[in-house]
Amino acid sequence: MRSATRMEWIKLRSVRSTWWLAIASVVAMAAAGAGVGLGYRSHAPVATVAQIFNNSLAGAILAQLLLGALGVLMVTGEYGTGMIRSTLAAVPRRRTVLAAKALVGGAAALTVGLAASFAGYLAGQLAIRGTAIPAASLGDWAILRAVLLTGAYLGATALIGVGLGTLLRHSGAAIGTLFALVFVPIFVVGLFGESGIAIGRFMPLLMLLNAVAVTTPTPGLFSGGVSVLLMCGYAAVAVLLGGVLLRRRDA
Amino acid sequence: MIELRELTKRYGRQVAVDGLSFRVRPGVVTGFLGPNGSGKSTTMRMILGLDAPDGGEALIDGVRYGALDRPLTRVGALLDAGAFHPGRSARAHLSALAASNDLPRTRVEEVLRIVGLTGAAGRRTGTYSLGMRQRLGVAVALLGDPGVLLLDEPVNGLDPEGIRWIRDLLRGLAAEGRTVFVSSHLIAEMALTADRLVVIGRGRLLAETTVAELAAGGDTLEDAFFRLTSETTDYRGAEAA
Repeated sequence: MRSATRMEWIKLRSVRSTWWLAIASVVAMAAAGAGVGLGYRSHAPVATVAQIFNNSLAGAILAQLLLGALGVLMVTGEYGTGMIRSTLAAVPRRRTVLAAKALVGGAAALTVGLAASFAGYLAGQLAIRGTAIPAASLGDWAILRAVLLTGAYLGATALIGVGLGTLLRHSGAAIGTLFALVFVPIFVVGLFGESGIAIGRFMPLLMLLNAVAVTTPTPGLFSGGVSVLLMCGYAAVAVLLGGVLLRRRDA
Repeated sequence: MIELRELTKRYGRQVAVDGLSFRVRPGVVTGFLGPNGSGKSTTMRMILGLDAPDGGEALIDGVRYGALDRPLTRVGALLDAGAFHPGRSARAHLSALAASNDLPRTRVEEVLRIVGLTGAAGRRTGTYSLGMRQRLGVAVALLGDPGVLLLDEPVNGLDPEGIRWIRDLLRGLAAEGRTVFVSSHLIAEMALTADRLVVIGRGRLLAETTVAELAAGGDTLEDAFFRLTSETTDYRGAEAA
């Protein structure tokens, strides 16, 4: 397992797409944070801490797709190129390969996700300096918790990507499915009107925007921590299902 | 030693490999011949545990590939048309595979030198010519210094110098006592490289023979090959008018 993990880490860092997706995630969140801060500078009445902070993490909407794609490509990139046969010839224990991919991809995405989340927070705070808007301090647990949970949510998204990639084996199909899983439930929940929240609290994007990346979760939703755990649960299901198929299918 | 016992693979109702049994011995180059679509690559993938057989088994020194510990040190494989990511450098590709089997980093530079890719090792493999990709594939096969080598169509895309290089390399590896199993659909090339031949058609064993025996029939090797495989060629062009 240790050697398989080392292999996956070398593979992950030796393709450019990894770095582009990581950089794009951080930049997207920093840009969104700065944009929100700048937009609120002349806002009347003066914005609240929560207004600035919650919105400054909105870049996570894009970052989750980028890091999800990173997870997908760790697997589908191998199927698309034939690399998977080299990998499985080197490590015939397929569940070990998948576990190593999940470990390396999850850890990398968690790191990048945390960096991106902090970048969004910092950019938002820097953009409102010199205004009457109160600053959000990381010393405030509600703030720090939201920043950390957003990073963890992004890490879990990459794991879902690894699982989807293993299940579908095709980059376009897996990334398309990832997008669909993120956005389609929102419209479905909308159809249920007021009672939509009962199922909406299980939907990734709603959890992100209303429970995870916010100081106080919207009433009716799970807490940020439970929401992230739910994401990890989804990731575990995707990876485990992927593992079952990986073992059974020809490479 | 590679041993196939009644190895069978079906895709739906199509039987790709049909009860194939033979042994590949160490010390000589064994050519694996058959027309396109005869099941050579499928057989190789099953030997490597990449495809699961529907019946029978393929053993390497008496065990299934999947049961080998650090398999790269036992079996080296060159898979069709370069099984690597085009965005990754040859050095990174080899380093990743070396790490997976706890091989020392120095071995990466050694195999790069053996195949003549040291100067291009930092370049992305997507920029490689077909010949360079084949050389990288050979480097992968040699990485773990294995006693058994499986090469699927290694001369595809190589220029005459590259073909001779592969031929000398394979013969040298066999002379060291290794088991060398090389697939090809080119009988003329196999005649120069291999000592023993395993000929299949439509997934069935047609002959286990030697180059010398096959040529002893009087006609050319090519004619002998066509005679063997004439019933089993799936696609054939019409004669030009």
